[in-house]
Amino acid sequence: MTAIMGPSPYIYVCTRLRVRKAKLIPREEYLRMLNMSLPEITRVIQELEYKREIDELSHAFSGINLIEVALSWNLAKNYQNVITIAPGGLKEMTESYLRRWDIQNVLTILRGISQGMARGKIKEVLVPAGELDRTFLDRLLAEDSMDRIVEALKGWRLYPVLKKLYTRAAESGSFAELENELYKKFYAEIISDAKTVKGGKSLLEYILLEIDIRNIQNLIRIRQQKAGGDVRGFMIPGSTLTEEEFQRLSLITEGEEFVRELRQKIRNKALLTMLDDLRKEEGSTSLHAHEIALTRLQLKTVELMAKLHPFSIWSILAYLDLKKFEIFNLRAITRGKEANLPVERIKGYLVM
Amino acid sequence: MAVEGLTAIAAALAVGITGIGAALAEYGIGSAAVGATAENKDVFGLVLLLTVIPETIVIFGLVVALLMLF
Repeated sequence: MTAIMGPSPYIYVCTRLRVRKAKLIPREEYLRMLNMSLPEITRVIQELEYKREIDELSHAFSGINLIEVALSWNLAKNYQNVITIAPGGLKEMTESYLRRWDIQNVLTILRGISQGMARGKIKEVLVPAGELDRTFLDRLLAEDSMDRIVEALKGWRLYPVLKKLYTRAAESGSFAELENELYKKFYAEIISDAKTVKGGKSLLEYILLEIDIRNIQNLIRIRQQKAGGDVRGFMIPGSTLTEEEFQRLSLITEGEEFVRELRQKIRNKALLTMLDDLRKEEGSTSLHAHEIALTRLQLKTVELMAKLHPFSIWSILAYLDLKKFEIFNLRAITRGKEANLPVERIKGYLVM
Repeated sequence: MAVEGLTAIAAALAVGITGIGAALAEYGIGSAAVGATAENKDVFGLVLLLTVIPETIVIFGLVVALLMLF
């Protein structure tokens, strides 16, 4: 029986997350919000799942900052809750998947401090959804120098990479290389985790798709900016493309040829369809539109797989990613409205 | 004697096997029902109804068993 349906904790958790996914803001609601004023949007957000966080934080923040911090807190709380309720292998996979937030938080702290930002301001934008919890991040923020922060991270699984590249990053003031290497290590670790954990095949499939998407996004960016030179360092290894292929593709100037070459390497059907669209639209559509289209493709794939395999890691991944983009969308709408951007422009930033 | 004994065994099997069938069906539905209720308490009535629907299988078995015995 368990072979057919999965053990009951899997069914329980996956159903919970499917219900949560169903409660996420639908496309029509975003379209409605786009035509509202900022106070109206704030009220709508308050009426949604974010009421508790807004109430909790209203004494310390106000206006758009309150919304922003409440959204981050809600995201972190939800992700931590998923880790708490997920059983066995699902828990391990969820933890591995959410470790990317540690990289984001550590880099936010380092970047913030190197730019001389106030500790309180940095704290506002942290999302403690990974292994490094809120208390630990607060401890990091309380350290008086970047060197001490790096020292305090000694037990972190990505510390060796951080230690190796931190000095160079701190001297140059650019954390881009450190960021690239941390993410590469993260992807290498999650691939190795997915290969060992029970039921990890689905996670591996998704991570490989994600790596392909990131690499294609990077290639599009490099080509549009005509960066040239050695760009192998921008590639995330582990999936379809090799470093040499990535380098070669980045140097192809002709759009048609670029898509044709890429098509020969990619095996994922959804990505192939996407590449056909890219071929038709190259030059006519902005870089940002391509990136949004790729992200949408990723979400569509995870949603489809969650429907096909309802009691597997797919349901969890679908919720985690859709929730993340709900937060991104709400942020884009509120920030866009605050900056008085035209509706069409804000709409271009939404992943619906 | 032999016929009566076999009838009793058949009746027992009718109730027993349908009971196992209902249990297997309720196993999945019950887990999902608890999960759905944990997220949205409003669905409690509906999922309770869905959880007990497989009980009908046992009722069929019971009816068949009673018909055999009486």
